[in-house]
Amino acid sequence: MAEVEETLKRIQSQNGVQGIIIVNTEGIPIKTTLDNASTVQYAGLIHQLVMKARSTVRDIDPQNDLTFLRVRSKKNEIMIAPDKDYFLIVIQNPSD
Amino acid sequence: SILLLNWELSNQDHPEDIFPMVLTSATQELFDCQADEDVTGESPYKLLEKDDIIQDIKTRAAVSDFSPVKQIVLDYPEDELLLVYDRDFTYGQSFYLVLTPEAKDRILNPPKPETPEVFEKEVVKTPEPKPWISLGSDKEIDEEAFKESREKLLYKFSRVRRKFGVPVCFSDRNTADAKDDYLECASYQDSRFSIKQMQRDCGMQAVPRLQSSSAQTQWKFQKNIFTQYTPRELSVEEKENILQLESLKNFCNSVTPRVLQALQQEGIMNVFFDDWKALGTAADDGDWAGKVSEGLMLYQAFTDQKYTKDKKICSINWHPTIYGKVQHLIIKISISLKSNNSLLKASFILFYTFSDPSNPQLLLECPDDIFAFEFCPSDPNIIVGGCINGQVVLWDISAHVTRLQGTQPGKKVSVNTDNKTPIVHYCAVSALESSHKAPITDVQWLPTTFEVTRMGLPVENMYNISAQVVTCSPDCTIMFWDVRVSSLVSHSASERRPIMDQKTPYSVPDTFKHLDRTWKPLFRVLQGFRVQYKMSTEMFYLQFPNLKISSIHIVIVYSKPNSCCDGEIIYTDWKLGKDDSGRLQSAKPLHCFSIHHWLVNTVQRSPFFKDIILTAGSWNFAIWKEGVMVTTPQVCTVGCWSLSRPAVFFIGKEDGSIEVWNLLEKTNEPVQIHSHVTNAKITCIKPWAASSKQHFLAVTDDIGMVRVFEIPKTLYVPSRSEVRQGPSHFPYLIARPR
Repeated sequence: MAEVEETLKRIQSQNGVQGIIIVNTEGIPIKTTLDNASTVQYAGLIHQLVMKARSTVRDIDPQNDLTFLRVRSKKNEIMIAPDKDYFLIVIQNPSD
Repeated sequence: SILLLNWELSNQDHPEDIFPMVLTSATQELFDCQADEDVTGESPYKLLEKDDIIQDIKTRAAVSDFSPVKQIVLDYPEDELLLVYDRDFTYGQSFYLVLTPEAKDRILNPPKPETPEVFEKEVVKTPEPKPWISLGSDKEIDEEAFKESREKLLYKFSRVRRKFGVPVCFSDRNTADAKDDYLECASYQDSRFSIKQMQRDCGMQAVPRLQSSSAQTQWKFQKNIFTQYTPRELSVEEKENILQLESLKNFCNSVTPRVLQALQQEGIMNVFFDDWKALGTAADDGDWAGKVSEGLMLYQAFTDQKYTKDKKICSINWHPTIYGKVQHLIIKISISLKSNNSLLKASFILFYTFSDPSNPQLLLECPDDIFAFEFCPSDPNIIVGGCINGQVVLWDISAHVTRLQGTQPGKKVSVNTDNKTPIVHYCAVSALESSHKAPITDVQWLPTTFEVTRMGLPVENMYNISAQVVTCSPDCTIMFWDVRVSSLVSHSASERRPIMDQKTPYSVPDTFKHLDRTWKPLFRVLQGFRVQYKMSTEMFYLQFPNLKISSIHIVIVYSKPNSCCDGEIIYTDWKLGKDDSGRLQSAKPLHCFSIHHWLVNTVQRSPFFKDIILTAGSWNFAIWKEGVMVTTPQVCTVGCWSLSRPAVFFIGKEDGSIEVWNLLEKTNEPVQIHSHVTNAKITCIKPWAASSKQHFLAVTDDIGMVRVFEIPKTLYVPSRSEVRQGPSHFPYLIARPR
């Protein structure tokens, strides 16, 4: 529990981080720093995207696996770090 | 012979009831039974009379052939005897006599032989319905059948004749209401006997199991149109559980470095930023054909022999709403009477349109020279102007707006048939006594976001209209005026002047009738502390912020004429406060700068940043951030910000040239100088954004010419960073010592 908190704190302390969500393999959010509605929306949508991306990578090369996914948009950047059981979503507002 | 007869009768081999005999031919003739003549084989029977036979016997006695049968004949009951011709000698003789009547019958009428049954072929016949045999079921049916036990009862209701056609109203009546209205035979449990129902008839119907559901879908291609869903969520306990899991800890540990690296990458550099594209805003230009002009191009020039020649144009304004096609823009200029040998006594505000550069479309008549005028922001038909004699003037041009709008290219300008420009008389002018004592140098409408009460407090503007005007003048006062019906401004009866019944021409609208000649300001701001200066300070322009804050500051520019005097920029709050003696007094100014060493003629807030102000004085112009100040020395008469680029502004000079400054490119000199645009001093510059493709700059000068320039695209299309960065490009100006 404490480790999770510490991770969140470390990430949150970076520049421009708007929100962090930890999601399990089914796409259900476990821990979040955003409000419920946004969390649910992000979790649901990004989960599908990550599944798709992961399957794409593995289809091309079955030995390969997805390690990181970054979605850059006009307003912010969404970073997704997938793992075996969970994945972490970080939304950052790039400062430039 | 009897014996013989008997013997013959008993030994005969013939039946007993016949007697074969021989008949002689004589006998045969006698009895007409001649063989093969009377009796034949086919008809062998002959009936003989008994009497004849007896006669014969008597006559011939023993000779008669019948003698043997004499006794039988005598005993014969009947009268006739049968004689049968036995042709075939069946019984031994040629004849035989039938002795008994029964035999006679038998021989004569032989029983018909039974005809043998004809065995025909059996034809297959359709089985005919057998007649129905009642086995008792008809009784059951009769029991169950439903028959009327009595005749149907018929009730006929009719009304009295006089009530025919009258509407009738039926209503319900509960029989339980009235006591004896009905008789009831209620069923009750009779204890005397009880019948147990052993068998009961009940009907059954087999119904298929049915399940119905519905979905919203198209007809041809059936798929769900809408799906409603809610997200799955974990309960709090589950979340707690998961958070405790070892796998989550491992996950966090493994994932953190990646994420941190990515985040830091972001912070270091923006990899998606296209440097090339952002390099020049000129790259946005689509006009590579080469016709890109870098500088201001003269678009139109307006002048009028009658009205504007040799006159100093003090102020110019674009009509805020009438625009449309390029040729259709309306501008207004105001003329002040400067030249001595003019033929006209009155001065005017002229309306020009692009489509007709040499004729003004409308003239607004002023009681005196106008230094400044402004369109009302909420109603462009109202124009307020400040006169040289200190009066404030109001016009209402709503009657002529259609005419102004009607001057479109392609349409025949039929309105101007009499070739006379319509003159609009002013609707209202302020009371002479309460106006300024010096020429009004600037007039501004309060923005629609707030308004000011009698005490000077800004309050929220309920109606979102601009109804208040501020004027300033070198008589050291700033006055606030309200154009609405003066219910707020209540004065004592003595102060109020009677409204004189003036003979206004019919064409003057009554919009401001309530104000005409009696218009008094809401309140005035007196700069009492300036008493050590000469009273002939000139106050120039005012500017207001558009902020809705509780205490609003205005920037007033003071400047003093003649040599050795400093123009000052005063930043003050106009609220009226109470000083020690209890009199209403205006507040002391907050800041006071004197950097312009001569007259200050421009104060303008940047349209982009609320706290950046451009002031231009005779020797220099300065850009202010409220509180911070930057100057550069240039000789200029007037300046204005560009409407679309925060770092661009235009400066007009004494010698008739226009400078274009772009702070992003150069900070110590203008990027463009258009020298000698006109021969005279430039008195007013106003930019206008007519459309996204065209921006204009109107420039007026001292000799009555109005020039409209088209601003090139490079000067009005802002670069991406310009609007965002904002005043960050100003600070590095501050560092330069002046």
